[in-house]
Amino acid sequence: MFAYIVRRMFQSVIVLLVVGLVAFSMFRFVGDPIDNMLGQERTQADIDRLRGELGLDKPFPVQYFKFLQGAVQGNFGVSYRQGRPVSTIIAERAPATLELAFVSGFLAITMGIALGVFTAIRRQGIAANVIMTVSLIGVSLPTFLIGILLIYIFSVELDLLPSFGRGETVMIGNWSTGFLTSSGLKALILPAITLGLYQMTLIMRLVRSEMLEVLRADYVRFARARGLSDRVINFRHALKNTLVPVITITGLQLGSIIAFAIITETVFQWPGVGLLFINAIQFVDIPVMAAYLMLISVMFVTINLIVDLLYYAIDPRLRVDARAT
Amino acid sequence: MILRNSAIGLALLVATSVQAAEFKWASTTDPQTMDPHAVNSAPVLGFLNNVYEGLVRRGKDMTVEPALAVSWEPIGEGEGWRFKLREGVTFHDGSTFDAQDVLFSYQRASGESADTRSWFAPVSEVIVVDDYTVDIMTSAPNPLFPSSIANWMIMDQGWTEANDAVVPDKETGNYATINANGTGAFKVTAREPGLKTVLEPHGDWWGEVEHNITRAEFNPIQNPATAVAALLSGDVDMINPVPIQDVARLKENADVDVIQGIEARVIMLGFDHEAETLKYTDDAGKPNPFRDARVRQAVAQAINVDAILATIMRGNAEAASQLVSPAMSGYSAANADRPAFDVEGAKALLAEAGYGDGFSFGLKCPNDRYLNDEPVCQAVVTMLAQIGITAELDAMPVRNYWPELREDNYDMYMLGWSPGTFDAEHPVRFLVATPNEEKKLGSWNFGGYSNERVDELLPMIQSELDATKRQAMLDEVTAIYQDDHVYVPMYVQPLVWGTGSNIDLTQRPDNFFILRWVTVN
Repeated sequence: MFAYIVRRMFQSVIVLLVVGLVAFSMFRFVGDPIDNMLGQERTQADIDRLRGELGLDKPFPVQYFKFLQGAVQGNFGVSYRQGRPVSTIIAERAPATLELAFVSGFLAITMGIALGVFTAIRRQGIAANVIMTVSLIGVSLPTFLIGILLIYIFSVELDLLPSFGRGETVMIGNWSTGFLTSSGLKALILPAITLGLYQMTLIMRLVRSEMLEVLRADYVRFARARGLSDRVINFRHALKNTLVPVITITGLQLGSIIAFAIITETVFQWPGVGLLFINAIQFVDIPVMAAYLMLISVMFVTINLIVDLLYYAIDPRLRVDARAT
Repeated sequence: MILRNSAIGLALLVATSVQAAEFKWASTTDPQTMDPHAVNSAPVLGFLNNVYEGLVRRGKDMTVEPALAVSWEPIGEGEGWRFKLREGVTFHDGSTFDAQDVLFSYQRASGESADTRSWFAPVSEVIVVDDYTVDIMTSAPNPLFPSSIANWMIMDQGWTEANDAVVPDKETGNYATINANGTGAFKVTAREPGLKTVLEPHGDWWGEVEHNITRAEFNPIQNPATAVAALLSGDVDMINPVPIQDVARLKENADVDVIQGIEARVIMLGFDHEAETLKYTDDAGKPNPFRDARVRQAVAQAINVDAILATIMRGNAEAASQLVSPAMSGYSAANADRPAFDVEGAKALLAEAGYGDGFSFGLKCPNDRYLNDEPVCQAVVTMLAQIGITAELDAMPVRNYWPELREDNYDMYMLGWSPGTFDAEHPVRFLVATPNEEKKLGSWNFGGYSNERVDELLPMIQSELDATKRQAMLDEVTAIYQDDHVYVPMYVQPLVWGTGSNIDLTQRPDNFFILRWVTVN
């Protein structure tokens, strides 16, 4: 067991290093930050001076090594665009993304499970068919289109919800939260729906098909024969047994909700790390891009590591294999 | 009776709301710093014009008017300029403004790490005569100096020194990067970079207050569709810019107004004047046809600017004949005609130059720098095809674009130029003069065009005090670069702002948004 963990950790570190290396080799193609940093009256001497100061004249492996050196000590450098430490900026922006991801994840799970159960139980009903059809839209429409549509309906036409931003926030320690003000809560609704819609339909369809499977199982038939009420059969016996795959998927999707909030954040001008990343790309803000990519890969690697470890705990075959090698 | 009462009540309500109002506006770019000397870019200088002030400022029609200086006059035979400073001006933190602050701001803004350094290239020395008189000496007579420093903003020496921000630092930032202490009509009360910046009126401002704003909030919104939605839903009162394709739709909406103007930026095509051979397509390695002025003229005649303006710009821009728009000083009215659209004439010119069978080449173009830049380049490609020359278009984001131009990776390219001084001398200095690193000339003349007469006239233009003689020389330079078809100027880029219908404001041709001219009704 211990050897397995050590080996997986070692692999994770290698994955991280490779991600960083690939990222740094790509930055050259993203563009040149110098022109964004100097005005139109710059001279070639200014360009050379700044390039030297930023270390951009060095080959990318050297730049990467310098980045790693800092990152190991928790220093991700200073943003070219904002002139402030990248770690401060990311710490400022992270609460917005995490709150949005949490709310949309919560929406996706609760609504997904509820609708999934409903469409499985009433699968011939009109409502269930309507939901299934609508959910197709959720899966097939791109996120930015859904976002723009929601903005036009709920803020431009109906004038109910704000069209952009996060509303007012309250600082709790270093954490800025939008949960405590009414404008903050209102501002959360549209982006959370936009971001969670795809996951919701995914979970709903998963629950539905699993549920249909389980409802045909023998033990459900026996339960019916015992004369149990539909409610007990559906929720206590059937639903519980459908949840195992749902939980696995949800765990993995949580990472992608955070990582792929970029589009939703751009459409709603949501001040999270995704928007920060988009800005960084436009400005060729290499320190911010590097830190963001590293953080996201740390997150994915950690989630995968945990999932692997869980499998190891659950699946005895892995343990046997480990002993054999 | 009840009706009338409620009408009066409503009138009162409206009246009170005129007296005090909140204002929110949005633009695509967040000013990257609050330091007026760290970054020389339009979003930063435009925003900070509300917070900081210079010795002079620009009015609604771009004329130079007194700000922190009440008057100025040339010293002797053009040895420099004497500025009389305004008395009784206080910074946002309450400290008073005097000549020492001007000297300090000169040292700060002209220092090694200041982006605004080039503005002070003609300055030899700044002398404090007394508390409210400053002499700025120039190495040569410089008639345009006062108007060239309208964006040079004065900082308080005490505040800047106390907060350890004596040197602007855009690489790592300092106190002045997120805090501001100017003399302007508004002070920064909250700043969250990339999120919002809050401005409130400066109670002790020296000027006459024209606005009725009690609090103003700026939000950057990158996505144009989101910005339009925010304006339509009333979440913001003003957006800049309005996407060209949304202009017609917004004009039909009674709740919003579209304010259009002509920006200072001229969009043009440039050529490689130095390269012996073409660099792109199958013709790479063959002699470079663009070294021949007749070929450049053929390009100019083949481009139907009116069609581009009518279709791609949807009637929102004006054709350009030279490197500056007619709104700029020094515009050459004598050279106001651009080559007529003439496909046959262009073909004849090509044949005369020995390219009757056409050729192919590479056209570089940005796709996120100017309004509809890529579609315009696509149109140019089609129009050039009509005279038998094939352009291979390579459009890219601006962050990749400048490095390509600097490394001469193009046969033809697109460029937009907005003269920082609002004078015709500016593009000549940067785009037409022979590149000279030492003298800081021709730094954007990527094609390496060189003309002795232009290089001879430029310093004379810069130091000529007599307006008529100066204009005659500018006319001559304009005629030279027009006859040589050094560039093909196409059009002046439009400015399109959207506001709520209850907002009155003034749009300045430099695309600076001046908050003190806003009235919320």
